[in-house]
Amino acid sequence: MNSMGLALAIIGAACASLFAGIGSAKGVGLVGEAAAGVVSVDPNKFSKVLILELLPGTQGLYGLLTAILMLRKIGILGGEVASLTTAQGLMFLGAAMPIAIVGLFSGIAQGRAAAAGVGITAKKPEHNGKGIIMAAMVETYAILALLVSILIINNIAV
Amino acid sequence: MAKLRMKKIELIALLTDSKKIIELLQRRGVVELCRNDDDELTGTNVTAVVGEFEKFRSTVAQALDILEIYSPEKSGFSDMFSGKTEVEKHDFGREAMQLEKIMNSAGDIIRKSKIIDDAASEISQIDMRYDNLKQWTPLDIPLNFKGTDSTAAFIGTVPFLADADSLEQNLPETCSVEVVSATKEQSCLFVMCSDDMSSQTNEELRKMAFVPVGENISLTPSELLDKLKEKRKKLEETIGDTKKAIAEHESGRREFKFAVDYLQMRKDKYDALSSLGFTENTFVLTGYIPEKFTTALEKEITGKFTASVTFTDPSEDDDVPVMLENSGFSAPVEGITKMYAMPSKTDVDPTPIMSFFYYLFFGMMLSDAGYGLTMLIGTTIVLKKCKLEESMYKTMKMFRNCGISTLIWGALFGSWFGDIVQVIGRDFFHKEIGSIALWFEPMDDPIKLLLYSFGLGILHLFLGVAVSFKMSWDDGRKLDAVLDTVPIYMIILGVAPLGASILTDVPAILKTIGTPVLIAGVALLVLTSGRSSKSIFGKFFGGLYALYNTATGWLSDILSYSRLLALGLATGSIAGVINLIGTMPENTVFKAILLVIVFIVGHSVNMAINLLGAYVHTDRLQFVELFSKFYTGGGREFEPLTVNTQYIKFKEEKYHE
Repeated sequence: MNSMGLALAIIGAACASLFAGIGSAKGVGLVGEAAAGVVSVDPNKFSKVLILELLPGTQGLYGLLTAILMLRKIGILGGEVASLTTAQGLMFLGAAMPIAIVGLFSGIAQGRAAAAGVGITAKKPEHNGKGIIMAAMVETYAILALLVSILIINNIAV
Repeated sequence: MAKLRMKKIELIALLTDSKKIIELLQRRGVVELCRNDDDELTGTNVTAVVGEFEKFRSTVAQALDILEIYSPEKSGFSDMFSGKTEVEKHDFGREAMQLEKIMNSAGDIIRKSKIIDDAASEISQIDMRYDNLKQWTPLDIPLNFKGTDSTAAFIGTVPFLADADSLEQNLPETCSVEVVSATKEQSCLFVMCSDDMSSQTNEELRKMAFVPVGENISLTPSELLDKLKEKRKKLEETIGDTKKAIAEHESGRREFKFAVDYLQMRKDKYDALSSLGFTENTFVLTGYIPEKFTTALEKEITGKFTASVTFTDPSEDDDVPVMLENSGFSAPVEGITKMYAMPSKTDVDPTPIMSFFYYLFFGMMLSDAGYGLTMLIGTTIVLKKCKLEESMYKTMKMFRNCGISTLIWGALFGSWFGDIVQVIGRDFFHKEIGSIALWFEPMDDPIKLLLYSFGLGILHLFLGVAVSFKMSWDDGRKLDAVLDTVPIYMIILGVAPLGASILTDVPAILKTIGTPVLIAGVALLVLTSGRSSKSIFGKFFGGLYALYNTATGWLSDILSYSRLLALGLATGSIAGVINLIGTMPENTVFKAILLVIVFIVGHSVNMAINLLGAYVHTDRLQFVELFSKFYTGGGREFEPLTVNTQYIKFKEEKYHE
């Protein structure tokens, strides 16, 4: 068994959840700060700003999803641990990159957009939905990256 | 269906009936009033009356808020969703008769709350004094002691850590210094000196930034402290008693709520009066009314009053408000349309167009039968048990329908709380159950689901284009209708098999048909899109530009539907991880206990997060992808004169069609 390949694949899975998770954490944190300000003035807006705060959280989930798919494929989760060549390991590492990097930056960017959406909720609560949609636009790119990651993982022959 | 036809109403009646008619319209809630702009008719000034009602209303509302602080209303789960209290009309009238009594109690509550506030601020002052005095406790001399016949005394603080010896050295010889207490920041001193050295000592002390003690009272510090303690206790008792006295108004909460609503109604009524036009003996009311209510309203008004009611079609430049009405299947997603924008005059109502796909996409993204079932049960209970406001009722129904869709998709994909069936079978009964999917498991063949997602997306988009076709066609622009849609259909249908062949095997026959259709579509688009341009170059480049726009726009639109796959996979795989964590221990009993806990907590969280995701992204697919094909929005919502109450609603017959 070539342990190098396996190590590279695990680094890939770790990267996917690491960077996408960092992006989400930063994003959710940003919105949380803005949301706390609004709630301190009007506690009734809590449920509305909570939705906005959760929006940048999905990148972390996508990172987790990618990591799980990889760990399943290489048999760390449920099954026999596959034997991977270094090239295969690098493939898995590459497969993790789209969601890792796009997840990191889109999470932060979505956090900014959602924090601005919190401003809408504060001033014009009835247009809250528009703020949600604007923040959700950012997520498209995380979804596309996730898609590419999934497609690559799915098509690596083990 | 869809947008209701609006009529303009003009009502002329006797001045003496004006208030009664406004009251009737307010209760029926079917007419939106327009401000009178006829110079021949005089208006009426109601600012003073409206102001008066507003003052009363805010007093009672304030009293209610205070009551809520000192005697919070108990509310259970069903109150969370339930709407306003239903009352009979005559009940409300009777309640309102005691307005004076209610205003008195409201005033009493506000006064009492002021007593509490005052006492509380006094207590905090006392606390401050108390803290300052505590360091003086060892001193057993009254705080205002200034000395005897032959001596002078100084009581006060210096802002440093002092000791008696070094201070005595710095002061005139006859001085004796006692340090009552000392910290780094402050030392409390009692200084005595002979009378003749008084001014000199004072001077020396001043140089050390000596500050005389603030209390000027003939009590020793400990006596004063006791007194303050006693005073504080009394104030606290006052607060407690006053709080209890406020809470005694608890029984009047219902009356307060009624009064708030009653005053709001009166205020709205007078506001409405100000938009009428008056002559000496009559008044004129103009407004908008949905056509279906016209006959019922006319019958009621002319039956009860001497009045003339006429309905006319609104003219082109009238700012006609929009009211939506849809079938039971589509009506629940009206809220989604409103969130984007009400349809404008030229728009069709997009609600019935998107409703089917709304449920479909929502279910596909959440795609877990267990979660769908939970939603279905939860919303059904709420719909059955609680009396809901109309918008809340619609939202609940929307989530119920989405729940059904989720249940169906989850069953097709074989996901029941993730893979809980297989996990229990394997870990507790040592049986491999295998897939229970009615169709296939997305995790085994994501490419297949991706293609279906794109396919559904293309159908969704084609529907939007078809609506725009119909709008142009009905508008008389038949050539535009054909030329704006047919090339797009041809291009997309032609390119679809070619695109799909990148990801999977496509029958050769489709590819052979696809290519010429694509080429014909592109040619048609390039040749016709620039038709509005005058010059031949304009036509040509206009065509090319349209081709570029179509290619990039539709590519990104269709790719956007990949979220159907991505969100679906996310739900299922995270649910799988939750089940995996729950079954980690080896011991069966321990495993069962852990699984129950992890199952409840984990799936609740996963469901909440993915529900939010499915909701947001379904909205997005409608707003960004579908609406951009035909919908502009920008209409004004119909806002009838109505009973705008917070707490009550009348048990009354509404008009039927």
